[in-house]
Amino acid sequence: MTTTDDCDVVIVGSGPGGATAAEVLTAAGWHVVVLEKGRNHLVALDPPHEPLRHFSNDEIAQTRRHLLGPDPILEPRTYRRSEADGDRLLIGEVNNLPSTVGGGGVHADAKLPRFREEDFHLRSARGPVEGAAVEDWPVQYDELEPHYAAVERSFGVAGEDGANPFAAWRSGTFPMPPGDDMPGALASAAAAERAGLHPYRAPTGVNSVAYDGRPACADCGFCGGYGCPIHAKGEPLAALQRALRTGRCDLRPDAYVTDIVLDTSGRRATGVRYLDLTGHPDPAVREVRASRAVVLAAGAFETPRLLLQNRLGGDLVGRFLTYHFQTFVVGIFPGSTGGERGRSVTHLHDDLMIDTPELRAAAAAAGLPWLRGGVVEHGSREGPIGEALTYPAGKAHLRAMTDSALRRRLWAFTVQGEDLAQTGNRVDLDPTVRDVWGRPAGRVTYRPHRHELAASAYAIPIHEAVMLDAGAQAAFSATSPPQGDLDLHAESSPLGIAPSSRHVMGTARMGRDRATSVVSPEQRLWDVDNVLVCDASVFVTSSGYNPTLTLSALAHRAATLLAGTSE
Amino acid sequence: MFEEPQAALVAAALDEQVPGAAALGAVRYVERLLTALDHDPPRLWAGVGPWAADGGPEWIPLGPWERDAWQQRIDGWRAVYGRVARGDAEPGDAAVLHAHACEAVYGDPAYGGNLGAGGWQRIEFPHPLFPPRRVDQ
Repeated sequence: MTTTDDCDVVIVGSGPGGATAAEVLTAAGWHVVVLEKGRNHLVALDPPHEPLRHFSNDEIAQTRRHLLGPDPILEPRTYRRSEADGDRLLIGEVNNLPSTVGGGGVHADAKLPRFREEDFHLRSARGPVEGAAVEDWPVQYDELEPHYAAVERSFGVAGEDGANPFAAWRSGTFPMPPGDDMPGALASAAAAERAGLHPYRAPTGVNSVAYDGRPACADCGFCGGYGCPIHAKGEPLAALQRALRTGRCDLRPDAYVTDIVLDTSGRRATGVRYLDLTGHPDPAVREVRASRAVVLAAGAFETPRLLLQNRLGGDLVGRFLTYHFQTFVVGIFPGSTGGERGRSVTHLHDDLMIDTPELRAAAAAAGLPWLRGGVVEHGSREGPIGEALTYPAGKAHLRAMTDSALRRRLWAFTVQGEDLAQTGNRVDLDPTVRDVWGRPAGRVTYRPHRHELAASAYAIPIHEAVMLDAGAQAAFSATSPPQGDLDLHAESSPLGIAPSSRHVMGTARMGRDRATSVVSPEQRLWDVDNVLVCDASVFVTSSGYNPTLTLSALAHRAATLLAGTSE
Repeated sequence: MFEEPQAALVAAALDEQVPGAAALGAVRYVERLLTALDHDPPRLWAGVGPWAADGGPEWIPLGPWERDAWQQRIDGWRAVYGRVARGDAEPGDAAVLHAHACEAVYGDPAYGGNLGAGGWQRIEFPHPLFPPRRVDQ
């Protein structure tokens, strides 16, 4: 084993949370080492740390050939709905966020809404729900607001001030004006307004104008699911570049962290050990010593997996796993919806997140105290290969592709439905499946609470009607995970039987009571307090908003507290 | 790598999945996929190539572990195409043929299919902006 030079903080993971922590800590004068399990396709490791330009509008490399990782042959994951399914239902891809420098920020189309005030005290505001673990967060919006503002400036967020009547208060304007509207979104937004909904231009971490040395988005159309060819997306490239350019950040790709090293007391981490995956077939074991802290930012799937392998964090590690329960309301239009160009989503509405008499009535009818849906995305985008794979072979295939109901003529609402935390939903270690390096694979056990199903059922007829009013010839809906006959979906659903959402949260919950949480309000492990968690693992509730800006704001706050600086 | 009459059998099998696939280079796409690891760097991930102002990589290198995974995949596909080329394909082979036919017809021409961007033209898919063209390698 090789012990490498010391640093102040070692950060595990280079996605939005890790990159943000690195930016804050290096700005405070600290030296950090960032270890990333995946390959580097994002940024040069040598000054001046320019983008590598590995990305193009290439559906094969990025959606079919695992350019962004992880390769499921090397790193399988497993899934089951409950223990009644046995050890697992499937082995392969389960919520695979990219495993690459930049993490999930690379492939995301960077919708970056803030949470609302209520999201941080849902238990107090709405009350408990039977069978769910609805709790207040130990940090509230007002405290987090300066950190939201800071990461919006760091990543570069384009948005329209005052456009969302339900938005939380903000201390300043968006760093950029909103980007171009997709034509399909203009039609669906107009219909939504006619239905009494309140659509607005989505806050997006994609440059609408030149910003921070990066160009404005060219609306190439390969956004969600793709690395940006011109790096108009600043999340988290901009934060990584700023950290690297201080000269105090050492970014190491191909570094698979396996152990959190503790001192003899077992109460303090002294660093981590990792496999240097540039070596093959016997990767060297290396150790990085950190004098101040270890920051875990590997995402809400890999962070609990690492903690469980190290038996750290207590009995609640991995539990309270949440996604967004996704409801897709699909409209088929008579002509092109224009989804082949532009960002994947340009408009949102929040109405399903608001406590209304109609939602209360729907909740009562379902035997629930309240319902919250989620933010509704107006969007499109399926590449031609993705579309082709959904159609049958033969002459019917050619007709279907020419007709293109599921791409060129498609427009969709995606409801990112709030997913209530349940103790039985979790990430743990599969008892027998291993990755190629011999480590236990992560396993998901998940099934939705009836709240999610009721909220989805409420949303569907409203949004199918809006879609028809927008001009669709037909509208239909589906959910992920699918409901009903599992065998049927296993054969027919392109989304598969596991939740397709890449919004993974809640597996190292934060709280004020160590008996009911894994990390403190400062995001430190209760049992080893110089190990911090700076990703969506710490979420107490899933909210119904895209998680990246909030996890990044939390990472910014935690790193600021660690460094003793102020925002 | 396929010689007649095996190439004709493979072409017919791909055409059965996506009519017109062979004319758009699907056999060549499959041949390049199955021999991708014979090149250094492997021809699995097209770089931005001549589009980039600074040149950029033509093909993005794989890491050693990624190479292992791709060797495993390609070995499996070689077995499939061996059966197809002998005329004794199994029912389960259709899924592989379907996926490769779709990729060949509608994917980036850098990989040997979608000749002249004809697959995109027939479905009115606008040519991607980045890169605006690929150089056939």
